[in-house]
Amino acid sequence: MNRNNIWIHIGIAVILVTLAAVIGQIDRWRSALKFDTVPAVRSTPMPKSVARTKEDSEPEVLVRFKPGVSLAEIKKITAMNNDVVEDEIESVKGLAAIDDLDNADPEAVAEQYREMSNVSYAEPNYEIKLDDPAETYSIQDGVHRVPSDASPDDPQFAQQWALNNLGQDGGKKGADINALEAWQETQGSDQVVVAVLDSGVDYTHTDLRSNMWLRPDNLPQYTDDELGTFNDENGFNGTDNAADPMDDNGHGTHCAGIIGAEGNNGEGIAGVNWNVRIMPLKFMGRGGFGTTKDAIEAINYAIDRKQHGVNVRVINASWGSTSRSKALEDAIRAAGEQGILFVAAAGNDGSNNDKRPHYPSNYDLPNVISVAALDRNDQLTSFSNWGPNTVHIAAPGKDILSTWLNDDYREASGTSMAAPHVAGVAALILAKEPNLSVEKLRDRLLKSVDPIDSLKGKIESGGRLDAAKALGN
Amino acid sequence: MSFTRESAVARAKSDLAARLKVSEGDINEVSTSEKDFPDMSLGAPEKGEMSAQMISSGWQIRLGANGKNYEYRADKYQLRLHDFKGSNYVVES
Repeated sequence: MNRNNIWIHIGIAVILVTLAAVIGQIDRWRSALKFDTVPAVRSTPMPKSVARTKEDSEPEVLVRFKPGVSLAEIKKITAMNNDVVEDEIESVKGLAAIDDLDNADPEAVAEQYREMSNVSYAEPNYEIKLDDPAETYSIQDGVHRVPSDASPDDPQFAQQWALNNLGQDGGKKGADINALEAWQETQGSDQVVVAVLDSGVDYTHTDLRSNMWLRPDNLPQYTDDELGTFNDENGFNGTDNAADPMDDNGHGTHCAGIIGAEGNNGEGIAGVNWNVRIMPLKFMGRGGFGTTKDAIEAINYAIDRKQHGVNVRVINASWGSTSRSKALEDAIRAAGEQGILFVAAAGNDGSNNDKRPHYPSNYDLPNVISVAALDRNDQLTSFSNWGPNTVHIAAPGKDILSTWLNDDYREASGTSMAAPHVAGVAALILAKEPNLSVEKLRDRLLKSVDPIDSLKGKIESGGRLDAAKALGN
Repeated sequence: MSFTRESAVARAKSDLAARLKVSEGDINEVSTSEKDFPDMSLGAPEKGEMSAQMISSGWQIRLGANGKNYEYRADKYQLRLHDFKGSNYVVES
Protein backbone atom coordinates (compact mmCIF):
# COMPACT_ATOMS: atom_id res chain seq x y z
CA MET A 1 0.00 0.00 0.00
CA ASN A 2 1.49 3.36 -0.96
CA ARG A 3 1.42 6.48 1.19
CA ASN A 4 -1.40 8.09 -0.80
CA ASN A 5 -3.65 5.05 -0.21
CA ILE A 6 -2.91 5.16 3.54
CA TRP A 7 -4.12 8.77 3.76
CA ILE A 8 -7.18 7.90 1.71
CA HIS A 9 -7.98 5.04 4.14
CA ILE A 10 -7.37 7.23 7.18
CA GLY A 11 -9.62 9.88 5.66
CA ILE A 12 -12.41 7.36 5.05
CA ALA A 13 -12.03 6.04 8.60
CA VAL A 14 -12.34 9.55 10.05
CA ILE A 15 -15.45 10.20 7.95
CA LEU A 16 -17.04 6.92 9.06
CA VAL A 17 -16.31 7.57 12.73
CA THR A 18 -17.72 11.09 12.45
CA LEU A 19 -20.79 9.79 10.63
CA ALA A 20 -21.38 7.18 13.33
CA ALA A 21 -21.10 9.84 16.02
CA VAL A 22 -23.56 12.11 14.19
CA ILE A 23 -26.04 9.25 13.72
CA GLY A 24 -25.72 8.39 17.38
CA GLN A 25 -26.40 11.97 18.37
CA ILE A 26 -29.38 12.16 16.00
CA ASP A 27 -30.75 9.02 17.62
CA ARG A 28 -30.44 10.58 21.06
CA TRP A 29 -32.11 13.74 19.78
CA ARG A 30 -34.93 11.64 18.36
CA SER A 31 -35.35 9.95 21.70
CA ALA A 32 -35.45 13.27 23.45
CA LEU A 33 -37.85 14.76 20.93
CA LYS A 34 -40.24 11.86 21.34
CA PHE A 35 -40.89 13.20 24.80
CA ASP A 36 -42.67 16.19 23.35
CA THR A 37 -44.12 14.83 20.18
CA VAL A 38 -45.59 11.43 20.98
CA PRO A 39 -48.72 12.11 22.97
CA ALA A 40 -49.67 8.48 23.40
CA VAL A 41 -46.62 7.66 25.48
CA ARG A 42 -47.05 8.12 29.19
CA SER A 43 -44.93 9.96 31.65
CA THR A 44 -42.67 8.27 34.08
CA PRO A 45 -43.72 5.81 36.69
CA MET A 46 -42.70 6.63 40.22
CA PRO A 47 -40.18 5.59 41.21
CA LYS A 48 -38.35 5.61 37.92
CA SER A 49 -37.79 2.18 36.57
CA VAL A 50 -36.55 0.20 33.63
CA ALA A 51 -37.26 -3.36 32.61
CA ARG A 52 -34.70 -5.87 33.73
CA THR A 53 -32.57 -7.63 31.19
CA LYS A 54 -32.63 -11.36 30.74
CA GLU A 55 -29.14 -11.62 32.11
CA ASP A 56 -30.33 -10.56 35.53
CA SER A 57 -30.92 -13.25 38.09
CA GLU A 58 -33.92 -11.38 39.43
CA PRO A 59 -37.43 -12.67 38.66
CA GLU A 60 -38.95 -11.32 35.47
CA VAL A 61 -42.52 -10.74 36.50
CA LEU A 62 -44.58 -9.82 39.53
CA VAL A 63 -47.96 -11.50 39.52
CA ARG A 64 -50.79 -10.98 41.95
CA PHE A 65 -53.20 -13.87 42.06
CA LYS A 66 -56.80 -13.46 43.10
CA PRO A 67 -57.85 -14.26 46.67
CA GLY A 68 -58.24 -17.96 47.28
CA VAL A 69 -55.40 -19.10 45.03
CA SER A 70 -52.98 -20.93 47.32
CA LEU A 71 -49.21 -20.89 47.07
CA ALA A 72 -49.31 -24.55 46.09
CA GLU A 73 -51.66 -23.73 43.22
CA ILE A 74 -49.48 -20.79 42.19
CA LYS A 75 -46.45 -23.09 42.06
CA LYS A 76 -48.41 -25.57 39.99
CA ILE A 77 -49.45 -22.87 37.51
CA THR A 78 -45.94 -21.51 37.19
CA ALA A 79 -44.43 -24.99 36.75
CA MET A 80 -46.82 -25.66 33.87
CA ASN A 81 -45.36 -22.57 32.18
CA ASN A 82 -41.79 -23.60 32.89
CA ASP A 83 -41.57 -20.78 35.42
CA VAL A 84 -40.62 -20.83 39.05
CA VAL A 85 -41.89 -18.86 42.04
CA GLU A 86 -38.84 -17.09 43.29
CA ASP A 87 -40.53 -15.32 46.18
CA GLU A 88 -43.95 -14.91 47.71
CA ILE A 89 -44.44 -11.32 48.81
CA GLU A 90 -45.98 -11.84 52.24
CA SER A 91 -47.12 -8.28 52.80
CA VAL A 92 -49.32 -8.36 49.71
CA LYS A 93 -51.57 -11.39 49.69
CA GLY A 94 -51.35 -13.38 46.46
CA LEU A 95 -48.35 -11.51 45.08
CA ALA A 96 -45.47 -13.60 43.77
CA ALA A 97 -42.17 -12.83 42.06
CA ILE A 98 -41.84 -15.29 39.21
CA ASP A 99 -38.77 -16.26 37.20
CA ASP A 100 -39.25 -17.44 33.65
CA LEU A 101 -36.81 -20.26 32.92
CA ASP A 102 -37.23 -19.77 29.16
CA ASN A 103 -35.90 -16.22 29.46
CA ALA A 104 -38.79 -14.91 27.40
CA ASP A 105 -39.52 -11.21 27.14
CA PRO A 106 -40.81 -10.03 30.57
CA GLU A 107 -43.72 -8.12 29.05
CA ALA A 108 -44.78 -11.20 27.09
CA VAL A 109 -44.60 -13.30 30.24
CA ALA A 110 -46.65 -10.73 32.14
CA GLU A 111 -49.22 -10.68 29.36
CA GLN A 112 -49.45 -14.46 29.53
CA TYR A 113 -50.32 -14.24 33.22
CA ARG A 114 -52.76 -11.36 32.73
CA GLU A 115 -54.84 -13.60 30.50
CA MET A 116 -55.36 -16.10 33.31
CA SER A 117 -58.71 -15.81 35.05
CA ASN A 118 -57.22 -16.25 38.50
CA VAL A 119 -54.74 -13.38 38.14
CA SER A 120 -55.50 -9.85 39.30
CA TYR A 121 -52.54 -8.28 37.58
CA ALA A 122 -49.09 -9.06 36.25
CA GLU A 123 -46.26 -6.75 35.39
CA PRO A 124 -42.60 -6.95 34.46
CA ASN A 125 -40.28 -6.75 37.40
CA TYR A 126 -38.85 -3.28 37.18
CA GLU A 127 -35.50 -2.34 38.49
CA ILE A 128 -35.72 0.60 40.82
CA LYS A 129 -33.42 3.40 39.82
CA LEU A 130 -33.45 6.08 42.42
CA ASP A 131 -31.34 8.67 40.75
CA ASP A 132 -30.91 8.65 37.02
CA PRO A 133 -31.98 12.07 35.81
CA ALA A 134 -30.02 11.74 32.58
CA GLU A 135 -32.14 8.92 31.24
CA THR A 136 -35.24 10.25 29.56
CA TYR A 137 -36.52 7.45 27.40
CA SER A 138 -36.33 3.70 27.37
CA ILE A 139 -37.20 1.71 24.29
CA GLN A 140 -37.53 -1.35 26.51
CA ASP A 141 -40.54 -0.16 28.47
CA GLY A 142 -41.72 2.69 26.28
CA VAL A 143 -41.87 4.97 29.25
CA HIS A 144 -40.66 8.54 29.32
CA ARG A 145 -38.94 9.81 32.37
CA VAL A 146 -39.10 13.25 33.81
CA PRO A 147 -36.37 14.95 35.75
CA SER A 148 -36.11 13.69 39.30
CA ASP A 149 -37.39 16.97 40.75
CA ALA A 150 -40.81 16.34 39.18
CA SER A 151 -41.30 12.96 40.84
CA PRO A 152 -42.52 13.22 44.42
CA ASP A 153 -41.06 11.12 47.19
CA ASP A 154 -44.41 10.72 48.96
CA PRO A 155 -44.49 7.07 50.01
CA GLN A 156 -48.08 6.35 48.95
CA PHE A 157 -47.74 8.03 45.58
CA ALA A 158 -47.65 4.66 43.83
CA GLN A 159 -51.29 4.16 44.88
CA GLN A 160 -52.40 7.44 43.34
CA TRP A 161 -53.50 6.02 40.01
CA ALA A 162 -55.35 9.22 39.21
CA LEU A 163 -52.05 11.09 39.01
CA ASN A 164 -49.90 8.37 37.47
CA ASN A 165 -51.65 5.24 36.28
CA LEU A 166 -49.20 2.44 35.59
CA GLY A 167 -51.93 -0.15 35.30
CA GLN A 168 -51.78 -0.94 38.99
CA ASP A 169 -54.64 -2.97 40.48
CA GLY A 170 -56.10 -3.85 37.11
CA GLY A 171 -56.18 -0.28 35.81
CA LYS A 172 -55.36 1.01 32.36
CA LYS A 173 -51.91 2.40 31.94
CA GLY A 174 -52.09 6.10 31.18
CA ALA A 175 -55.67 6.55 32.41
CA ASP A 176 -54.65 9.47 34.62
CA ILE A 177 -54.52 13.25 34.56
CA ASN A 178 -50.90 13.28 33.37
CA ALA A 179 -49.63 14.91 36.53
CA LEU A 180 -45.96 14.03 36.21
CA GLU A 181 -45.64 15.84 32.92
CA ALA A 182 -47.60 18.80 34.30
CA TRP A 183 -45.29 19.06 37.31
CA GLN A 184 -42.38 19.68 34.99
CA GLU A 185 -44.10 22.95 34.21
CA THR A 186 -45.32 23.90 37.68
CA GLN A 187 -46.02 22.24 40.98
CA GLY A 188 -48.33 24.99 42.15
CA SER A 189 -48.02 28.27 43.97
CA ASP A 190 -48.72 29.56 47.45
CA GLN A 191 -50.16 32.64 45.77
CA VAL A 192 -53.21 30.70 44.58
CA VAL A 193 -56.03 30.12 47.07
CA VAL A 194 -58.52 27.29 46.53
CA ALA A 195 -61.56 27.33 48.77
CA VAL A 196 -62.90 23.94 49.80
CA LEU A 197 -66.62 24.46 50.44
CA ASP A 198 -67.36 21.33 52.36
CA SER A 199 -67.39 19.72 55.83
CA GLY A 200 -64.31 21.73 56.84
CA VAL A 201 -60.71 20.64 56.56
CA ASP A 202 -58.44 19.07 59.15
CA TYR A 203 -55.93 21.88 58.90
CA THR A 204 -53.63 20.12 61.36
CA HIS A 205 -53.10 17.10 59.08
CA THR A 206 -49.37 16.55 58.57
CA ASP A 207 -49.78 16.38 54.81
CA LEU A 208 -51.94 19.50 54.61
CA ARG A 209 -50.89 22.00 57.24
CA SER A 210 -48.13 23.60 55.16
CA ASN A 211 -50.60 24.29 52.39
CA MET A 212 -53.42 25.71 54.50
CA TRP A 213 -54.50 29.28 54.09
CA LEU A 214 -54.14 31.48 57.16
CA ARG A 215 -55.67 34.91 57.43
CA PRO A 216 -52.82 37.39 57.06
CA ASP A 217 -52.17 39.60 60.06
CA ASN A 218 -53.00 42.70 58.07
CA LEU A 219 -56.40 41.41 56.97
CA PRO A 220 -59.25 42.38 59.31
CA GLN A 221 -61.46 39.68 60.76
CA TYR A 222 -64.55 38.85 58.77
CA THR A 223 -67.62 40.78 59.86
CA ASP A 224 -71.15 39.92 58.84
CA ASP A 225 -73.82 42.48 59.54
CA GLU A 226 -76.12 39.95 61.16
CA LEU A 227 -73.77 37.29 62.40
CA GLY A 228 -71.14 39.57 63.85
CA THR A 229 -67.36 39.31 63.72
CA PHE A 230 -65.63 35.99 63.13
CA ASN A 231 -62.19 34.90 64.14
CA ASP A 232 -61.53 33.50 60.68
CA GLU A 233 -57.88 32.71 61.22
CA ASN A 234 -58.24 29.29 59.55
CA GLY A 235 -61.23 29.91 57.31
CA PHE A 236 -64.99 30.02 57.74
CA ASN A 237 -67.58 27.88 59.47
CA GLY A 238 -71.17 28.53 58.47
CA THR A 239 -72.71 25.65 60.40
CA ASP A 240 -72.77 27.20 63.82
CA ASN A 241 -70.85 30.41 63.35
CA ALA A 242 -68.23 29.09 65.70
CA ALA A 243 -65.55 30.22 63.27
CA ASP A 244 -63.46 27.07 63.49
CA PRO A 245 -63.62 25.22 60.16
CA MET A 246 -62.16 22.00 61.55
CA ASP A 247 -63.53 18.96 59.73
CA ASP A 248 -65.54 16.51 61.83
CA ASN A 249 -66.59 14.32 58.93
CA GLY A 250 -63.52 13.63 56.76
CA HIS A 251 -64.99 14.43 53.36
CA GLY A 252 -63.63 17.96 53.15
CA THR A 253 -60.20 16.79 54.27
CA HIS A 254 -60.25 14.18 51.52
CA CYS A 255 -61.09 16.77 48.87
CA ALA A 256 -58.42 19.12 50.22
CA GLY A 257 -55.77 16.40 49.95
CA ILE A 258 -56.59 15.77 46.31
CA ILE A 259 -56.20 19.46 45.55
CA GLY A 260 -53.15 20.15 47.63
CA ALA A 261 -51.61 17.56 49.92
CA GLU A 262 -48.05 18.73 50.24
CA GLY A 263 -45.95 17.05 47.56
CA ASN A 264 -42.45 15.68 47.82
CA ASN A 265 -42.40 15.95 51.61
CA GLY A 266 -41.73 12.27 52.23
CA GLU A 267 -45.19 11.99 53.77
CA GLY A 268 -48.34 10.20 52.62
CA ILE A 269 -49.53 11.36 49.25
CA ALA A 270 -49.04 14.18 46.75
CA GLY A 271 -51.79 16.61 45.85
CA VAL A 272 -52.39 17.82 42.32
CA ASN A 273 -50.66 20.91 43.68
CA TRP A 274 -47.58 20.34 45.80
CA ASN A 275 -47.86 23.91 46.86
CA VAL A 276 -51.09 25.89 47.13
CA ARG A 277 -53.23 27.57 49.77
CA ILE A 278 -56.40 25.80 50.83
CA MET A 279 -59.13 27.85 52.46
CA PRO A 280 -61.67 25.76 54.39
CA LEU A 281 -65.28 26.90 54.04
CA LYS A 282 -67.30 24.66 56.32
CA PHE A 283 -71.03 24.40 55.71
CA MET A 284 -71.67 20.68 56.20
CA GLY A 285 -71.58 19.05 59.60
CA ARG A 286 -70.49 15.71 60.95
CA GLY A 287 -73.01 13.80 58.84
CA GLY A 288 -71.79 15.28 55.55
CA PHE A 289 -74.85 17.35 54.70
CA GLY A 290 -75.77 20.97 55.08
CA THR A 291 -78.15 23.71 54.14
CA THR A 292 -78.28 25.95 51.12
CA LYS A 293 -78.14 28.94 53.38
CA ASP A 294 -74.92 27.92 55.04
CA ALA A 295 -73.39 27.24 51.64
CA ILE A 296 -74.37 30.70 50.49
CA GLU A 297 -72.91 32.29 53.62
CA ALA A 298 -69.65 30.52 53.01
CA ILE A 299 -69.55 31.67 49.38
CA ASN A 300 -70.23 35.19 50.57
CA TYR A 301 -67.28 34.87 52.91
CA ALA A 302 -65.00 33.82 50.05
CA ILE A 303 -66.18 36.77 47.97
CA ASP A 304 -65.57 39.13 50.87
CA ARG A 305 -62.03 37.85 51.36
CA LYS A 306 -61.41 38.16 47.62
CA GLN A 307 -62.53 41.76 47.77
CA HIS A 308 -60.09 42.27 50.63
CA GLY A 309 -57.18 41.06 48.53
CA VAL A 310 -57.06 37.31 49.18
CA ASN A 311 -56.43 35.58 45.85
CA VAL A 312 -59.34 33.12 46.00
CA ARG A 313 -59.64 31.88 42.42
CA VAL A 314 -61.34 28.49 42.77
CA ILE A 315 -64.11 27.04 44.92
CA ASN A 316 -64.47 23.28 45.03
CA ALA A 317 -68.02 22.04 45.61
CA SER A 318 -68.14 18.27 46.03
CA TRP A 319 -71.79 18.19 47.03
CA GLY A 320 -75.25 18.83 45.71
CA SER A 321 -78.90 17.90 45.46
CA THR A 322 -81.75 17.95 43.00
CA SER A 323 -83.22 21.06 44.63
CA ARG A 324 -82.73 24.27 42.70
CA SER A 325 -82.01 27.44 44.64
CA LYS A 326 -82.02 30.78 42.90
CA ALA A 327 -80.18 32.28 45.85
CA LEU A 328 -77.39 29.75 45.61
CA GLU A 329 -77.22 30.32 41.87
CA ASP A 330 -76.89 34.04 42.45
CA ALA A 331 -74.15 33.56 45.04
CA ILE A 332 -72.19 31.42 42.60
CA ARG A 333 -72.71 33.99 39.87
CA ALA A 334 -71.40 36.68 42.22
CA ALA A 335 -68.32 34.57 42.85
CA GLY A 336 -67.80 34.35 39.11
CA GLU A 337 -67.97 38.10 38.82
CA GLN A 338 -65.06 38.19 41.26
CA GLY A 339 -63.05 35.85 39.05
CA ILE A 340 -63.73 32.70 41.03
CA LEU A 341 -64.19 29.39 39.23
CA PHE A 342 -66.81 27.10 40.79
CA VAL A 343 -66.04 23.41 40.30
CA ALA A 344 -68.98 21.16 41.13
CA ALA A 345 -69.54 17.43 41.44
CA ALA A 346 -72.05 16.17 38.86
CA GLY A 347 -73.73 13.84 41.36
CA ASN A 348 -73.82 10.14 42.09
CA ASP A 349 -77.22 8.93 40.92
CA GLY A 350 -76.00 7.42 37.65
CA SER A 351 -78.51 9.59 35.84
CA ASN A 352 -78.64 12.11 33.01
CA ASN A 353 -78.37 15.65 34.38
CA ASP A 354 -79.83 17.01 31.13
CA LYS A 355 -83.11 15.41 32.13
CA ARG A 356 -82.87 15.27 35.91
CA PRO A 357 -80.85 18.31 36.99
CA HIS A 358 -78.40 18.21 39.84
CA TYR A 359 -77.36 21.43 41.59
CA PRO A 360 -75.14 23.38 41.87
CA SER A 361 -73.44 21.56 38.98
CA ASN A 362 -76.35 22.31 36.64
CA TYR A 363 -76.38 26.08 37.06
CA ASP A 364 -75.75 27.44 33.60
CA LEU A 365 -73.15 30.00 34.63
CA PRO A 366 -69.88 30.96 32.95
CA ASN A 367 -67.86 30.07 36.04
CA VAL A 368 -69.39 26.64 36.76
CA ILE A 369 -67.79 23.37 35.69
CA SER A 370 -69.67 20.13 36.27
CA VAL A 371 -67.46 17.07 36.78
CA ALA A 372 -68.22 13.38 36.19
CA ALA A 373 -66.24 10.51 37.69
CA LEU A 374 -64.03 8.00 35.88
CA ASP A 375 -62.58 4.75 37.13
CA ARG A 376 -58.98 3.56 36.71
CA ASN A 377 -59.83 2.20 33.27
CA ASP A 378 -61.04 5.51 31.85
CA GLN A 379 -64.63 4.36 32.09
CA LEU A 380 -67.45 6.47 33.44
CA THR A 381 -68.28 4.98 36.84
CA SER A 382 -71.66 3.34 37.27
CA PHE A 383 -72.64 5.90 39.89
CA SER A 384 -71.57 9.04 38.03
CA ASN A 385 -74.14 11.40 36.61
CA TRP A 386 -73.60 12.47 33.03
CA GLY A 387 -75.18 14.78 30.47
CA PRO A 388 -74.01 15.92 27.04
CA ASN A 389 -75.20 19.47 27.70
CA THR A 390 -74.80 19.85 31.45
CA VAL A 391 -71.81 17.77 32.54
CA HIS A 392 -68.67 19.29 31.15
CA ILE A 393 -65.62 17.19 31.95
CA ALA A 394 -64.65 13.86 33.50
CA ALA A 395 -61.90 13.18 36.04
CA PRO A 396 -60.78 10.29 38.25
CA GLY A 397 -63.33 9.60 40.97
CA LYS A 398 -63.16 5.99 42.09
CA ASP A 399 -60.85 4.45 44.69
CA ILE A 400 -59.08 7.75 45.23
CA LEU A 401 -56.55 7.82 48.03
CA SER A 402 -56.37 11.05 49.99
CA THR A 403 -56.05 12.59 53.42
CA TRP A 404 -58.54 11.83 56.20
CA LEU A 405 -59.12 12.85 59.80
CA ASN A 406 -56.55 12.12 62.52
CA ASP A 407 -53.56 12.19 60.19
CA ASP A 408 -55.00 9.25 58.32
CA TYR A 409 -55.47 8.40 54.63
CA ARG A 410 -58.41 6.70 52.99
CA GLU A 411 -59.71 5.63 49.60
CA ALA A 412 -63.07 7.06 48.63
CA SER A 413 -65.28 7.16 45.55
CA GLY A 414 -67.71 9.66 44.10
CA THR A 415 -67.98 12.67 41.87
CA SER A 416 -66.90 14.34 45.11
CA MET A 417 -63.43 12.98 44.37
CA ALA A 418 -63.51 13.91 40.68
CA ALA A 419 -64.26 17.61 41.20
CA PRO A 420 -61.12 18.38 43.27
CA HIS A 421 -58.91 16.99 40.54
CA VAL A 422 -60.35 19.66 38.24
CA ALA A 423 -60.10 22.33 40.94
CA GLY A 424 -56.51 21.30 41.50
CA VAL A 425 -55.57 21.57 37.84
CA ALA A 426 -57.28 24.97 37.69
CA ALA A 427 -54.96 26.06 40.50
CA LEU A 428 -51.93 24.70 38.62
CA ILE A 429 -52.90 26.76 35.58
CA LEU A 430 -53.27 29.85 37.75
CA ALA A 431 -49.86 29.24 39.28
CA LYS A 432 -48.43 29.59 35.79
CA GLU A 433 -50.85 32.22 34.48
CA PRO A 434 -52.13 34.15 37.50
CA ASN A 435 -54.04 36.74 35.51
CA LEU A 436 -56.10 34.33 33.45
CA SER A 437 -59.79 35.29 33.50
CA VAL A 438 -62.28 32.82 34.90
CA GLU A 439 -63.83 32.36 31.45
CA LYS A 440 -60.47 31.57 29.87
CA LEU A 441 -59.56 29.30 32.76
CA ARG A 442 -62.75 27.30 32.29
CA ASP A 443 -62.24 27.24 28.55
CA ARG A 444 -58.68 25.98 28.96
CA LEU A 445 -59.75 23.11 31.18
CA LEU A 446 -62.46 21.98 28.81
CA LYS A 447 -60.48 22.33 25.59
CA SER A 448 -57.43 20.47 26.83
CA VAL A 449 -59.11 17.17 27.69
CA ASP A 450 -57.92 13.79 26.53
CA PRO A 451 -60.75 12.59 24.27
CA ILE A 452 -62.31 9.30 25.32
CA ASP A 453 -64.58 7.55 22.86
CA SER A 454 -66.99 6.27 25.47
CA LEU A 455 -67.59 9.81 26.76
CA LYS A 456 -68.70 11.18 23.40
CA GLY A 457 -72.35 12.10 23.63
CA LYS A 458 -72.26 11.75 27.41
CA ILE A 459 -69.99 14.57 28.54
CA GLU A 460 -69.85 17.96 26.86
CA SER A 461 -66.08 17.99 26.31
CA GLY A 462 -66.01 14.25 25.57
CA GLY A 463 -62.85 13.75 27.55
CA ARG A 464 -60.80 13.37 30.68
CA LEU A 465 -58.99 16.14 32.50
CA ASP A 466 -55.35 16.46 31.35
CA ALA A 467 -53.14 18.61 33.56
CA ALA A 468 -50.19 18.64 31.19
CA LYS A 469 -52.22 19.75 28.20
CA ALA A 470 -54.01 22.33 30.31
CA LEU A 471 -50.61 23.83 31.05
CA GLY A 472 -49.79 23.93 27.36
CA ASN A 473 -47.55 20.89 27.16
CA MET B 1 -75.83 10.58 68.91
CA SER B 2 -73.94 7.65 67.48
CA PHE B 3 -75.84 4.70 66.03
CA THR B 4 -75.12 1.02 65.94
CA ARG B 5 -77.11 -1.24 63.65
CA GLU B 6 -79.29 -2.32 66.57
CA SER B 7 -79.89 1.13 67.96
CA ALA B 8 -80.72 2.44 64.49
CA VAL B 9 -83.35 -0.28 64.03
CA ALA B 10 -84.82 0.43 67.46
CA ARG B 11 -84.96 4.16 66.80
CA ALA B 12 -86.54 3.57 63.38
CA LYS B 13 -89.26 1.43 64.96
CA SER B 14 -90.11 4.06 67.53
CA ASP B 15 -90.19 6.75 64.84
CA LEU B 16 -92.47 4.76 62.58
CA ALA B 17 -94.78 3.88 65.47
CA ALA B 18 -95.15 7.56 66.26
CA ARG B 19 -95.82 8.49 62.65
CA LEU B 20 -98.40 5.76 62.13
CA LYS B 21 -99.84 6.16 65.63
CA VAL B 22 -99.49 2.47 66.38
CA SER B 23 -97.57 0.63 69.08
CA GLU B 24 -94.02 -0.51 68.43
CA GLY B 25 -95.24 -4.08 68.83
CA ASP B 26 -97.23 -3.64 65.62
CA ILE B 27 -94.06 -2.99 63.66
CA ASN B 28 -91.87 -5.79 62.42
CA GLU B 29 -88.35 -5.70 61.04
CA VAL B 30 -88.54 -7.04 57.50
CA SER B 31 -84.83 -6.81 56.82
CA THR B 32 -81.72 -4.86 57.66
CA SER B 33 -78.70 -4.95 55.42
CA GLU B 34 -75.51 -3.05 54.75
CA LYS B 35 -75.62 -0.95 51.64
CA ASP B 36 -73.62 1.65 49.74
CA PHE B 37 -75.58 4.84 49.23
CA PRO B 38 -74.83 7.46 46.57
CA ASP B 39 -74.07 10.32 48.94
CA MET B 40 -73.83 11.35 52.55
CA SER B 41 -77.55 11.96 52.83
CA LEU B 42 -77.76 8.23 52.15
CA GLY B 43 -79.71 8.94 49.00
CA ALA B 44 -82.53 10.42 51.06
CA PRO B 45 -82.04 14.19 51.17
CA GLU B 46 -84.67 16.43 52.63
CA LYS B 47 -85.88 19.11 50.26
CA GLY B 48 -83.17 21.71 49.76
CA GLU B 49 -80.56 19.74 51.64
CA MET B 50 -77.10 19.53 50.10
CA SER B 51 -74.96 16.49 50.70
CA ALA B 52 -71.43 15.37 50.00
CA GLN B 53 -71.28 13.32 46.79
CA MET B 54 -69.22 10.47 48.15
CA ILE B 55 -70.34 6.85 48.10
CA SER B 56 -71.23 6.10 51.73
CA SER B 57 -71.96 2.84 53.45
CA GLY B 58 -74.77 2.41 55.92
CA TRP B 59 -77.78 0.26 56.77
CA GLN B 60 -80.98 -0.13 54.83
CA ILE B 61 -83.71 -0.93 57.33
CA ARG B 62 -87.04 -2.21 56.04
CA LEU B 63 -89.92 -2.19 58.49
CA GLY B 64 -93.44 -3.50 58.03
CA ALA B 65 -96.70 -2.26 59.55
CA ASN B 66 -100.35 -2.53 58.57
CA GLY B 67 -99.41 -4.57 55.54
CA LYS B 68 -97.07 -1.90 54.15
CA ASN B 69 -93.29 -1.63 54.03
CA TYR B 70 -91.26 1.42 55.03
CA GLU B 71 -87.59 2.14 54.45
CA TYR B 72 -85.15 3.78 56.83
CA ARG B 73 -81.50 4.46 56.12
CA ALA B 74 -78.86 4.95 58.74
CA ASP B 75 -75.17 5.23 59.40
CA LYS B 76 -73.12 5.98 62.45
CA TYR B 77 -74.31 9.59 62.58
CA GLN B 78 -77.82 9.70 61.21
CA LEU B 79 -81.17 8.01 60.68
CA ARG B 80 -83.41 8.91 57.75
CA LEU B 81 -86.83 7.87 56.58
CA HIS B 82 -86.87 7.38 52.82
CA ASP B 83 -89.80 8.25 50.59
CA PHE B 84 -92.50 8.44 53.25
CA LYS B 85 -95.57 9.82 51.50
CA GLY B 86 -93.27 11.23 48.83
CA SER B 87 -90.74 12.92 51.12
CA ASN B 88 -87.52 12.10 52.92
CA TYR B 89 -87.00 12.94 56.58
CA VAL B 90 -83.99 13.27 58.86
CA VAL B 91 -85.16 11.42 61.96
CA GLU B 92 -82.00 12.05 63.92
CA SER B 93 -78.50 13.27 63.25
